[in-house]
Amino acid sequence: MNAPGRDPHSMVPAAVAGTARLMAYALLAISLMTLDHRGHYVERVRAQALQLAEPIYHLVDLPFRLARQLQTHLLRQQILANQRDALTTTLMQLRAELVQFDDLQRENAELRARLGVAARQRPGTLAAELAAVDLDPFSHRILVRRGAADGVVRGMPVIDDLGVLGQVDRVLHHAADVVLITDPDHALPVQVQPGGERTIAYGSGAFDTLRLDDLPMNTRIEPGSLVVTSGLGGRFPAGLPVARVTRVQRPPGESFARAEARPLAAMGRNRFVLLLRPVEMEQPSQPPPETRSEIETHTETGISADAVESGTPDTTDGTASDADEETA
Amino acid sequence: MRRARRWLLPLTLLLAMLLTIVPLPQPIAPWRPHWLALVMIYWQIETRALRGLGQPFALGLVLDLLTGALLGQHALGLVIINFLVGRFRNRIRFFPIWQQTLIIGAVLFNDRIVNLWIVGLVERGWPGWNWWLPPLTAMLLWPWLYLAMDRMRLAWRTGR
Repeated sequence: MNAPGRDPHSMVPAAVAGTARLMAYALLAISLMTLDHRGHYVERVRAQALQLAEPIYHLVDLPFRLARQLQTHLLRQQILANQRDALTTTLMQLRAELVQFDDLQRENAELRARLGVAARQRPGTLAAELAAVDLDPFSHRILVRRGAADGVVRGMPVIDDLGVLGQVDRVLHHAADVVLITDPDHALPVQVQPGGERTIAYGSGAFDTLRLDDLPMNTRIEPGSLVVTSGLGGRFPAGLPVARVTRVQRPPGESFARAEARPLAAMGRNRFVLLLRPVEMEQPSQPPPETRSEIETHTETGISADAVESGTPDTTDGTASDADEETA
Repeated sequence: MRRARRWLLPLTLLLAMLLTIVPLPQPIAPWRPHWLALVMIYWQIETRALRGLGQPFALGLVLDLLTGALLGQHALGLVIINFLVGRFRNRIRFFPIWQQTLIIGAVLFNDRIVNLWIVGLVERGWPGWNWWLPPLTAMLLWPWLYLAMDRMRLAWRTGR
């Protein structure tokens, strides 16, 4: 109410000064964005600041968490019983499959031992629920309700029941920020299944597409091929399903073929995800020989990829029939 | 007035931030208005509480942090919004509410263009047609938000 009295004095200079100030702030914002995007210089500052802002996430998440708890309390016993029956059946089925899988794993370990190759280790898992927080859809990130307090560390692979989702980027106390494999800055070392060609899957910025660039022109990749992690880079364990190839392009006049793939994971539309504990971290005693043997493993799989690792269903059939023949 | 500013202003700004990250069902999510901008515009028009450009810049940075957007993206948007509204404040204030709504819509539409420019520049995928929905929701909400906040502010000032 008192303000208009001041305005007439400074009418002309204020307009100029205002514009200048706008320019200054715009420049500041743009340089900040450039730093954030190009150099990731501000990443550390950002991680620190996010720690301060964490309570806001929990404030938003809290009602949803309470509602869920209330819901579980109020759910009718009949419904719960039905759910339990369904879950028991699934568990039985999965157990039965796992028994066969165990057998295969033993066989695999034996073969690997005979070939003089390091045995594969299964990573530990940590189930996490997505937090009820909507991040910017263009940031390709999700927030999970597990954090440093639960043993989450930066770089942990995140999967769901269908495939690879992404990896942990920023760790808060009770939450973690997961960057999806579709983020344009994300690159994932992969192997394309029939054939075992290794390449890198880049995020495209669209939730339903990964880019496989720089493929040789005579690539054997074709629509429908399965993309799995190759384990190179040491962050993701090998053999996790990632995507299915949808399109292969051989642009005339260019020296490389290109492919697009559709991620198998539900990209944060489901409620639960699994964080994988890296295997290497549990035994830090002898890192140099392990890395070497890992490289050996990969050259090995490169050669015998068709025989050993061409997708689980095929191998099951193959080994089963082999075993039959042997016994017969 | 003073008291209203001291408590109601931060409270409404915080609420706007919470509303920005609260999850919405998939079909409604693209309609989410730019809450923080709306609340900021209200305070700027009615009380000139946020007349500088430093405050919107800081608010924008917090929003960038919370939403995981590029640091500076919302900051730039809010600074521009605040500048435009500040420039035309004396006119906007005395407009009838439907005309005010149109102006707000135009300012927020402009904000979407600025954001589109940023998103396009960093190759985060080209948004679809629902990119342009938030200003429409904001226009639908503005009269009600305006009345509600006015009521709240006056009650705070005179009542307790």
